[in-house]
Amino acid sequence: MLFLKHLQDTKLTPLALLDTAYIIVLLPLMLILKVPMLIFSFMVLVLLFFKKTPADKYLILFIFLMGLLALYLSLYGLFSFRGLSRLKLFLELLVYILIIVVSMQRLTREINFYLLLSPVLFLALSLFFFHSLMMLMYVIFEIFFLLWLILAHRMEGNMIESFRASMVMFMYSLPWVVVLFIFFPRISFEHADYGFKGENIQRMGHDGTMFLDSKALLVPSDRIVMEVGFDTEVPTSDKLYFRGSILYVDKKDYWEPLPAYMKRENKTDDPVVGETIEYKVTLYPTQKRWIYLLDMPVRIVNNSDMDKDLISTVKKPIKTPMHYTARSVLTPTFYDNLDQDTLDASISFDIKRNPKTYQEAQKIKNLYKEPDKKASALVKFFQNQSLTYSLKPKALDINNTADSFLFDKRLGYCVHFASSFVTMARMCGIPSRIVTGYKADQANSFNNYLAVKERDAHAWAELYIGQHWVRFETTSTASAIDKDTLEILGANNTFFNRVNLQLMYIKYQVETWILYYSHIRQLQLIQYAKENPRFVLLFVFSLLTLVLITFSITLYFRRPRCTHKVLCILEPLLKKLKKEGYIRQKDETMHQYFLRYMKEHPEKSALKEVDNCYELISYGGDTSSATMKQLKRMVKKSLSS
Amino acid sequence: MNYTIASEFTPLIDAIETHLVGKKETIALSLATFFAGGHLLLEDIPGVGKTTLAKHLSQVLGLDFGRIQFTSDMLPSDILGVNYYNQKEGAFIFKKGPIFTSFLLADEINRSMPKTQSALLQAMEEGSITIDGTLHTLPKPFFVIGTQNPQEEVGTFPLPTSQLDRFMCSFGIGYPDSVSEREILKGERGHSRSISNTLLTPQQIESYMKRASEVTLSETLLDFLQKIIAYTRESGIFEYGLSTRGALSLTAMTKSWAMLQGRNYVTADDLQAVTSAVCTHRLKFKEGLTTAKRIHDEIFTHIRSDI
Repeated sequence: MLFLKHLQDTKLTPLALLDTAYIIVLLPLMLILKVPMLIFSFMVLVLLFFKKTPADKYLILFIFLMGLLALYLSLYGLFSFRGLSRLKLFLELLVYILIIVVSMQRLTREINFYLLLSPVLFLALSLFFFHSLMMLMYVIFEIFFLLWLILAHRMEGNMIESFRASMVMFMYSLPWVVVLFIFFPRISFEHADYGFKGENIQRMGHDGTMFLDSKALLVPSDRIVMEVGFDTEVPTSDKLYFRGSILYVDKKDYWEPLPAYMKRENKTDDPVVGETIEYKVTLYPTQKRWIYLLDMPVRIVNNSDMDKDLISTVKKPIKTPMHYTARSVLTPTFYDNLDQDTLDASISFDIKRNPKTYQEAQKIKNLYKEPDKKASALVKFFQNQSLTYSLKPKALDINNTADSFLFDKRLGYCVHFASSFVTMARMCGIPSRIVTGYKADQANSFNNYLAVKERDAHAWAELYIGQHWVRFETTSTASAIDKDTLEILGANNTFFNRVNLQLMYIKYQVETWILYYSHIRQLQLIQYAKENPRFVLLFVFSLLTLVLITFSITLYFRRPRCTHKVLCILEPLLKKLKKEGYIRQKDETMHQYFLRYMKEHPEKSALKEVDNCYELISYGGDTSSATMKQLKRMVKKSLSS
Repeated sequence: MNYTIASEFTPLIDAIETHLVGKKETIALSLATFFAGGHLLLEDIPGVGKTTLAKHLSQVLGLDFGRIQFTSDMLPSDILGVNYYNQKEGAFIFKKGPIFTSFLLADEINRSMPKTQSALLQAMEEGSITIDGTLHTLPKPFFVIGTQNPQEEVGTFPLPTSQLDRFMCSFGIGYPDSVSEREILKGERGHSRSISNTLLTPQQIESYMKRASEVTLSETLLDFLQKIIAYTRESGIFEYGLSTRGALSLTAMTKSWAMLQGRNYVTADDLQAVTSAVCTHRLKFKEGLTTAKRIHDEIFTHIRSDI
């Protein structure tokens, strides 16, 4: 409020208003300016500050040459017409040229079209360089500020009046913005390559293969891979398996998917069996083509393909955050009519390797006939091996990885468990495969928001039993967790992480509901509204509240501050006269104004008393409350008569 | 102009109006100037009733009337008086000039040389004159009505600014409207030769003058007044702004005008009514002619009383 008070006495010249606009729009661009250009801008600033007279043509020419020099130095060696950087480079060039032109114009100390237009151009250009939520807020601020400055210019530099006016405009528009935002028909289109985007960092973790000696899946990082918003509560951790890729081929020390020629055909939408759950995913750039869906996905995501292994891929590597809505049935088993080739692939193992494991497998194979009994015996066998879950395993014998893990080192993480389990299951005669992806942790959820992190990368096994693939959480067969691993896992639950999660949740909500609010979401909302009349009521109620709040704030800002007590009392009367078409002339005193009115409305003689009383208070110095009350009464009377 | 003269003053105005038909407002303004303790400069072409107004005003007020017809060969001593050597008594004796009167009509003041005009300076400001180092007090009240013909006339000397500033108000009388003129032509009214009756006693005059000075000037109106003064100084359209004396004159005149209407407080209307009379001879537009109407419009379309 102190700031407003200070503004009360401030009247800025058009040039000062323009300079303020420049400062506001150039602030973010300062971050991308190269040093020579910064020096040039600084030079112009100093010139403007010290030289109060309009620059002559030699100075302008000098500035132009200096600008060119700065431009040359800034962009020297950067011109390579390759890749995506080209667009940004040209935009940068555009910004520089604009700065030079504006500098030349500004030094003449005249206002012209260039100068008036360029703040908006700068604003538009800055949108190309910054894609963050912060920038969005700053842009809203910039728009408000520019509006204010324009109004201030129209109001001959009166800052406080124009601030009030722009505030009123902003407030008036607010409910309409909300309503239009929610209901305005949206066109579905791929998000443009520029504009507001989330972070653009490449992530890794799940990469489609599985090395037993490397740490490909082992990225104990808290980086977010994807953010998931559920329509209902976040399911428990044992259901949060995000399917990434399927590995069939055992390559001694690593596993591979089926070779390209054997690739399973694409799936078409089947009728859904069971209770489905719907969720929205924001997948951050992975530079890979997989999109991750909860087991088992029942709907093919737009613009993606899903094969019979229920693995979804998009056509091009994901380089910008991707948003998709998915539907799954949370079940560990699902039907698959396996073709012979794939069946062969999922049963094959190298008989020359892992003799010990083979031996043990044969025992089980001979003991049980039914695959499900074999599987439970297998699990029991793993449980009895006293295996330890460790994120820091010892190196395995790469020729006999299963033997080495199960009988020798007995130390490993998901990869080793899954690999040995599948190897042994195949030896028992059960078709099986490895699934890699992410197993999210419910601890990383807040309300219906779930963050999936790098460290959630996981591998598990699927066994083909009775025409159904059955998920086996192989890691859970571990009988112990080593101390170091416990520490690493425990780090997940600190206070800082909880706070961080909440912040992420807020950011996620803004992104899903504002930045990426699409027609799909719009339809969902309408659908939801149809099913929930209470929601509609609540919505209407909140909208009305918003309108009410806006209205009151508007009133607060619009109400001309009664500079004089008497004027406040008179206001309803003056408003009424104004409504009737009597506008007080510039050189008209209140008395003359009333007289003029009474001349044409002789029946309104009550006004005469108001006039007298008003003059008595305002000129006669009679400010006693009795007289004030009397005036109030008279105004009322004149209004009713 | 919106005004209603209080009943106690209407006889005064009506009495003069019989001789200066259809000029009630001018008469009222002249009276206000008198009660405000200022001097009046009537500026108009000959033959519209400047002298008539002055003469009858003095008669109605019951003040002793002196008249000086200014000519180009006039000397200050012709106005103020001289010290002459009385041989009988063997000493210098002061012979009072025509200025020693309560109501002085300085007719055609701009016909004399500036030197002579300036003889009036001290008298008008202080109500006294100094001759050869001796202070002579003028009677109270001391009221000067100067008349002048338009500047362009042959054989006139423009009044110096210092002289002009000493007149509280300045206005013209103007031609009568057609109805009044018809009455005059018919000879029904406007016998300028007849003498008006005295309507006020010196005590009444004194009390009115006191009352005029005691009229309330509210803070809000002071704000308005100051805005006007500031505008004349800062807008840059006038050669000079209003002087402090000018501002004081405006205040006094406004108060006096309010009193004439029977009020003991000043309204924005009062200020509007008198501003051009007070300002026309004090302000000069940098471009174009300075007229009362233009001054009024210029000021009041730019400065508005917010209340």
